[in-house]
Amino acid sequence: MIAALAMVVGVVLGLALEPTVPLWLQPYLPIAVVAALDTVFGGVRAQLDGIFDSKVFVVSFVSNVLVAALVVFLGDKLGVGGQLSTGVVVVLGIRIFGNAAAIRRHLFRA
Amino acid sequence: MSTSLLNDLLSDHLDKGYAEVAARRAGRTAGGEMPHARRSGRLWLALGLLLTALLLAAAFRATTTQAPESARASQALVHDVQVGTATSDWLKRRAEDLSARLVRERDAVLATSKTGDRVTRQLQQVEAAAALVPVRGPGITVELGDAVAGQLDPATGDRITGTPEDSGRLQDRDLQSVVNALWAAGAEAVSINRERLAPTTAIRAAGEAILVDLFPLTSPYIIEAIGNPDTLLPRFADSGAARRYQSLVGVYGIRFGVQRSPDLQLRAATGTEPQYAHLLDETNAGPATGGAQGGQPSSAGSPSVPPGGGP
Repeated sequence: MIAALAMVVGVVLGLALEPTVPLWLQPYLPIAVVAALDTVFGGVRAQLDGIFDSKVFVVSFVSNVLVAALVVFLGDKLGVGGQLSTGVVVVLGIRIFGNAAAIRRHLFRA
Repeated sequence: MSTSLLNDLLSDHLDKGYAEVAARRAGRTAGGEMPHARRSGRLWLALGLLLTALLLAAAFRATTTQAPESARASQALVHDVQVGTATSDWLKRRAEDLSARLVRERDAVLATSKTGDRVTRQLQQVEAAAALVPVRGPGITVELGDAVAGQLDPATGDRITGTPEDSGRLQDRDLQSVVNALWAAGAEAVSINRERLAPTTAIRAAGEAILVDLFPLTSPYIIEAIGNPDTLLPRFADSGAARRYQSLVGVYGIRFGVQRSPDLQLRAATGTEPQYAHLLDETNAGPATGGAQGGQPSSAGSPSVPPGGGP
């Protein structure tokens, strides 16, 4: 209940406050979003596996987002930012699909 | 090593942290979960979901505001172009006004003597030929237009042969041949879409646009020609260019029409800059040309004034 409320509050805050993403941060926003999606799918799958832990969820969410952005940031500084962000998207994308497949197996037994 | 990395990537999708915590919890399963731990867990979850929702909403917001930004940029560019066009139009009008005033002043000065009268008449003829003054009079109007995109054949319902992108689009040489036919038919002054054609005005293509006197024009092209309509119209209608475009109307669907116009007003062409001749520099010319002409730099501006000769 609290969790659902928190999510609604988050959406409302994000939409209503229009937090202006600083220009230097904007290239990392898509990467952060993909990392966040990966964490969310992982959390749902862990819940279905029966081993969900909210602390792990939050810590992995924050660290995934930060690390993904940091990797791309480093890549930008070293001249391989584009390739590294592609790499991050590929790896996280594979994980998202794998977790989604696991969730599907749980839900539909197929 | 690398294969195990790839294997991990392809097989282990779940964060290892969940399994570790579950194992640890299973190790001290004896006591069961305390209510305190459950409450903090729920708070953690709420925090995580809040952050997730905030991030996703912010990203959504950033993406939706970014799109209008690019649109805004192009709108600003369009606005700049419009302002620039308006400024250039205004300057053009002002140049016309000033040159008209110049002509009036000059005529007033020249009208004081008989020689001046003759010079004025000569000047007027020369200026009319050079399209430097606005003119009005009867004539004919020729309308040329690109084939309309997606025009359908009334009989079959199919698209008319030839896509408008290539064959139905008028080129610079189409305008050139029509204008040349008008000159040949006896037109005394010609303008395309209000752009007066001077003897040195170029009609040429730049990309997809047709430039007349360096101003881009778009279809339809209204070509106005002043001349005796009774001879101009039949002569032009009989010319090769007119007959060719008349036949192209049926083939490609371009627009082509000729009509009499009792009263046409053509504005002056933008002044042509001499390409090789240039004005004598006031400071240098003074001593070089000798004392006879010194102190009369303005005489350099009217080189066509012939020396005396009146009675």
